Amino acid sequence: MIDFQSGYILRPVNPLFIYFSLLGALLLNLLPIGNYGWIPDWLIICIVFWNIHQHRFVGVIIAFTLGLLMDVHNSDLLGLHAFSYSLVAYLAISWHRRIIALNVFTQALHLLPIFLLVSLFPVLTHWILSGEIYWWALTGSVQAVIEALLWPLATRILLAPQRRPIDVDHNRPI
Amino acid sequence: MLIDFRYKALDPIRNNVNWILRPLEYVMMTPRNAIEGASEYFTTRGTLDKENQEMKVRQAELSLLANQSEFLLIENQNLRQLMDLQKQTPFKTLPVEILFNPPNPISQRIVINRGSNDGLKLGNPIANDAGILGQVVRIYDHSAEVSLLEDRDFAVPVQVARNGLRAAVFGTGRGNPLELRYLPVASDLEVGDVLITSGIDGVYPPGFAVAVISRIERNADKNSSNVLCVPVAAVNRYRQALALLYDPQYDAKPSVVNKSGSSGPGVMSPGRRQTRERGMQ
Repeated sequence: MIDFQSGYILRPVNPLFIYFSLLGALLLNLLPIGNYGWIPDWLIICIVFWNIHQHRFVGVIIAFTLGLLMDVHNSDLLGLHAFSYSLVAYLAISWHRRIIALNVFTQALHLLPIFLLVSLFPVLTHWILSGEIYWWALTGSVQAVIEALLWPLATRILLAPQRRPIDVDHNRPI
Repeated sequence: MLIDFRYKALDPIRNNVNWILRPLEYVMMTPRNAIEGASEYFTTRGTLDKENQEMKVRQAELSLLANQSEFLLIENQNLRQLMDLQKQTPFKTLPVEILFNPPNPISQRIVINRGSNDGLKLGNPIANDAGILGQVVRIYDHSAEVSLLEDRDFAVPVQVARNGLRAAVFGTGRGNPLELRYLPVASDLEVGDVLITSGIDGVYPPGFAVAVISRIERNADKNSSNVLCVPVAAVNRYRQALALLYDPQYDAKPSVVNKSGSSGPGVMSPGRRQTRERGMQ
């Protein structure tokens, strides 16, 4: 695959690294930090990243399963995160050709609506089910902005293993 | 989602997923516990000395109170027997530990480390040393989720400790003060009144502090008053709490009707308090 940021050809991805990073993000989400709205959802950053870069390894089904785990952890309605994660995974996969060719910061801007959808989905569901909108919870959009700001960092970390050169030749770089 | 919302049919799935997830959660709790443990370990001798002094004074006060309360308890029992009132049902307590509060924008909940295998039941109140924290709303085998007082439409029947006025405290959502609803303007309330559980619902044992009135807005036009209160039990301060296993249906002694062996629809399981039949009579 071509790294559109630098123009180099990337090394093939290691599936173990993908699953390891997803597990790491899940564990970060399980950290008992407290009930604050702005704490970024590490898992959705990771899922969306792999959806865009390696959609053949991480698709809607993995997103659904991880969402189910998050539902149980967050004591939400069963299926709330599962549905929003898989919806977002579908969106990310269908947009991946367009997004991957952009600059990292433009990518972050494009992904902001996706993260907003995940952050505000519980509020929307609560609105549909009970008929009253919970304004205070709309501060969850801060979380989406933070996630979008973390996107360049995520690209850097998660693409790092693939950016390693195969044989370093200082005299003739490519 | 709709199925879960309406029918609670997916609880077995939830229980199984939880069974997988809980070890991971315990693993992720170790850094926080380690940090807390370290900070506790490095407390200075001075603070420990001070704490010890305070504890001694507190213990002296409490033992004095305990001596008196035993006397009062016996007196109360005797008086109740004289007046032919129903006996107050005792309740058991179960120490629980608060594991974490899950991130959730809609409601504030806590997860505790006891579940149905430890004898906890759905609806059991959870309290700490200050007062009522909340109520068990979802139960697993080895853990349970507790909804807090400030949850939306979470109601607790209370009475004002000063004059015994009965009312109900309602939660109004995360981060908002509690409300004392359905009270006329002329009701005798003051800022700073302590609200204690009245026990008329059979869920909360009577006499536990719930909230303190923080503001009163009397609205003479509508003959209603907005009374805002603050819960007395802070969630984030301690990790330990008590679950109150309380079932007022069970009486200390079996009722007389059951002993005489009368048959019919009125007879219930032994030890059950005789209540009127439901429905038409």
